[in-house]
Amino acid sequence: MKKKWAILGSVFFLAALICLCIGRYPIHPDQVIRLLLTGPGADNPATGNIADQMKIFWNIRVPRVIMTVLAGAGISTAGAVFQALFRNPLAAPDILGVTAGAGFGAALAIIFLVPAAIVIQTSAFVFGITAVTLAYILAGLSRDRSPSVLVISGIVISAIFQAGLSFIMYLANPYDQLAQIIFWTMGSFHTASWAKIQAILPVLVPGILALVLFSWRLNIMTQTEEDALSMGIPVMRWRIFYVVVSTLMVAAAVAAAGTVAWIGLIVPHIARYLSGPEHTRLIPMSAFLGGLFLMVMDTVARSVLLSEIPISIVTSFFGAPFLGYLVIHAGKARFSHDT
Amino acid sequence: MTLDIRHLTAGYGKKPVISDINMTAAAGRICAIMGRNGSGKTTLLRCINRVLPLMAGSIRIMGEDATQLARHHIAQKISVVPQAAFSPFAFSCLDMVLMAGAPRIRAWAAPSKKEICSAAAAMAETGIDHMKNQPFNAVSGGERQLVMLARALFQQTPIMLLDEPTAHLDFTNQHRIMALMHTLARKRKMTVVITLHDPNLSHYYCDDVVLIHQGRIAAAGTTADTLTDTVLTRVLGDNIQLDVTTKGVFVAVPRTIPPKMDDMADQSLENQKPYNKKVSL
Repeated sequence: MKKKWAILGSVFFLAALICLCIGRYPIHPDQVIRLLLTGPGADNPATGNIADQMKIFWNIRVPRVIMTVLAGAGISTAGAVFQALFRNPLAAPDILGVTAGAGFGAALAIIFLVPAAIVIQTSAFVFGITAVTLAYILAGLSRDRSPSVLVISGIVISAIFQAGLSFIMYLANPYDQLAQIIFWTMGSFHTASWAKIQAILPVLVPGILALVLFSWRLNIMTQTEEDALSMGIPVMRWRIFYVVVSTLMVAAAVAAAGTVAWIGLIVPHIARYLSGPEHTRLIPMSAFLGGLFLMVMDTVARSVLLSEIPISIVTSFFGAPFLGYLVIHAGKARFSHDT
Repeated sequence: MTLDIRHLTAGYGKKPVISDINMTAAAGRICAIMGRNGSGKTTLLRCINRVLPLMAGSIRIMGEDATQLARHHIAQKISVVPQAAFSPFAFSCLDMVLMAGAPRIRAWAAPSKKEICSAAAAMAETGIDHMKNQPFNAVSGGERQLVMLARALFQQTPIMLLDEPTAHLDFTNQHRIMALMHTLARKRKMTVVITLHDPNLSHYYCDDVVLIHQGRIAAAGTTADTLTDTVLTRVLGDNIQLDVTTKGVFVAVPRTIPPKMDDMADQSLENQKPYNKKVSL
């Protein structure tokens, strides 16, 4: 286990170094290490080329890499948690409507409010949380307390917010607003900045740590409600705790970058392949792999073509075939209930 | 009495499934709950475990009112072996057993080395310690039942409830698990409550029996006194009789075997005769 983490750690640092080098403005690895050692905004009398490089490096590339790692880790951890809560390896963190709500909130801000980054981000965050709360209230009105009712409520609420989003897109000015909304719904980290990191870090880091800390109980949450109760776990209360923490994290990540498709579903599967299904090992592995995966995907998104590719296109393009590969090779037991 | 139930009425929605149930169970003894399908056996177990709220009556566990106990306190007193178990994820058998440590383990902690050893000991007690690292979903139905039993043992409770533990097991495994329960009840001084369908198993392994008919107690008492022809006929239907085989084994067998299609073609009257041939085990 220790050896595995040592290998994964080295892979991560190597990947981070490469991601910092690659870009529209390539920086030599030597230079990257020098810049990292000098620190940001160091009072260097350097002029011209070096100063530009430093600015690009510290104000654009570093925050972008940090943000992708944070968002990827947060969304993937939430994905692993949701798969446990809904006892279904195909559950994704947006199953309760957080993404649909956030998309609606962002579009609303772009059209009717001030289309400034902080306003869009706040509106997306608030509506993401609102959507999940509504799904929870709707499920609470039913006498059936099973997670499947919650999933159906999530589908209902998602559909309503999707319709709202489509309506706003219909109203939008096709020359600038519509493009902005569409780009948002496909996600991108090109707006990454230290200010955005300041906004999402206080949600994502404590969120991931809380889920790592309370990861063992997730094993019990995958059992039937009656079995979990028999083992002394007040299921309803713990389900709310896990849903609240995961939703806050996904809402924060999505609000900052727009929709990031697939990674919440696929990364936990890759993690299970490496660490097994036991959650004290699975949750840290999901966080780690999610950060790594999204960092690499974002580097692809910003460097393959001359212009930026939306992140969801890249994650779907690489993620979906990978899940297909796992379906074929990982064996039956990982996807089916019984043997 | 570790378990004392008085005038219990419960059900789903507004309609009671069981009403006016009175029963007790004592430490070191196995109590069988018998009755036909839909008679309310599982409902009664769910009430004792406080998963289903009571409509009327009272349940006292170790002298305490069960309705006043918090979830994790109940889990420290009662463990449950469910009828059939599967896991949506391929946990190892040891991970499945460890889950029952939850009432003792703090919410933010994982099982300690000591807990892992004690879980392994519970698996050894049910004879499955060689399966610790096997995925739960890949072992056979009988072995899964033993894993669930080890899990209930690891919960270390004075009371254990088993919901038809023999339902999916083959003949040998049925007797194996019942014999194991008998030993455990005596050795650990546990109060064991089991729902069963087979009167033979109740007779061989259980000390007390409670028979439920249409949601009410039809008879209750020690197995030797209670399991009689009249009682069984009243509760399980009129096609049952008790007998002793030529080798001296007590058995409950059908009174008549209904005529079958191929026999009827013979139009032989032999088939209409009561089925009196003795069956040996």
